[in-house]
Amino acid sequence: MLIEVFGPGCAKCQTLEKHARHAAEQSGGDHQVVKISDYATMAIRGILSTPALAIDGQLKSQGKVISSDEIAALLKG
Amino acid sequence: MSERPGCECACASEKGAVPPPSFLRRGGWVLLALPVWILLYAVNHRISEWAAFGLFKLTPKSHLGEAVAFFFYDVPKVLLLLTLIVFIVTFLQTFVSPTKVRNALARRAPGIGNALGSVFGILTPFCSCSAVPLFIGFLRAGVPLGVTFSFLVAAPMINEVALGMLFAMFGWKIALIYAGTGLSIAFIAGLVLGRMSMERHLEGWVQDALKAPAMGESEEEHLTLAARIAEATQGVKDIVGKVWPYILVGILVGAFIHGYVPESFMAGLLGKKTWYSVPLAVAVGVPLYSNAAGVMPIVEALLGKGAALGSTLAFMMAVIGLSLPETIILRKVMRPRLIATFVGVVALGILLVGYLFNAIL
Repeated sequence: MLIEVFGPGCAKCQTLEKHARHAAEQSGGDHQVVKISDYATMAIRGILSTPALAIDGQLKSQGKVISSDEIAALLKG
Repeated sequence: MSERPGCECACASEKGAVPPPSFLRRGGWVLLALPVWILLYAVNHRISEWAAFGLFKLTPKSHLGEAVAFFFYDVPKVLLLLTLIVFIVTFLQTFVSPTKVRNALARRAPGIGNALGSVFGILTPFCSCSAVPLFIGFLRAGVPLGVTFSFLVAAPMINEVALGMLFAMFGWKIALIYAGTGLSIAFIAGLVLGRMSMERHLEGWVQDALKAPAMGESEEEHLTLAARIAEATQGVKDIVGKVWPYILVGILVGAFIHGYVPESFMAGLLGKKTWYSVPLAVAVGVPLYSNAAGVMPIVEALLGKGAALGSTLAFMMAVIGLSLPETIILRKVMRPRLIATFVGVVALGILLVGYLFNAIL
């Protein structure tokens, strides 16, 4: 699955990216983590607050750092 | 027969054992934490006096003694207040997401839109690194530029934590004055900026991004009470963990003012009768980067030394509401002329508030 992490590069965004990578490793399977820091892309994707996380193009959370467990749960279903 | 009691007992103990931990885990611990908080807050003054004058054997009424007592009293007090206020605020914020606010503001007429934008600005969870996506997202959804500005001015200017701290430390009147004037500035600034049709002063890429078609929207999430309490707890950890150095610096400055700066000096510099006290307060406040909780001890010490309320409020608003880092972030979307107008209108508003309150109080 494609995990996208959106954020301009603040501390919170880096933490979320770390959680996403951790979750991708833990849950096995074929996952790819991509970090997007371009504001124009965020705008088009409808993101209002960062950090945000999308799985396979679907926006799952924004404005908070969710844990790697929560991301793993999102990957499962 | 012999098995039945055992079974019943097992069932009963299971039923009896499961609810307490899950009740606590579901946020019930908050009810237990509250009395502890109240107790700590109640004994804080006595402990601080004992620490300064008993433990360190400083002389009451001496410069050093008063400064140290202020420090020992304020560190636990500000941290305790901050913890409680951040918890309440973050809990309330789980009910207002930027997405909900954006939808409520989309295509609002000026006036009512500016009023709503200002009010939402107080409570919406917002950090300066989110300012850019939020700004573009609002405009894309059809929130008028002026209404977006009202929101953007209110969000940092009427800081929800500052509001709570002012209420707890100085009473409801000062909290109300702060909220009321902040709202008026945000309302008027947005109305004025909206009239000036500044859309063409947005950066080129922003104007392109406004026209690009949308790709998917986020789904609205529904949270349980336990999830809201968990989020509020996380908020306390994040914010208190991040701002305590600012608080420490703020309290050190406050303690110095409290113990060493003579009353006549402060009353002269920031007093009602000094015509330049308000611009001076704003000029000193803007480059200072702190947060709501860090400024409070300084505000406390300034007011204690006879600084006028208008000048002190102006100082506080300049520190919290007009921060350099946020301006730099917003510069990414706004051309210099627009950002200068934005900063100018807000600064003017703060000056007016300062003079107004020095005149009437």
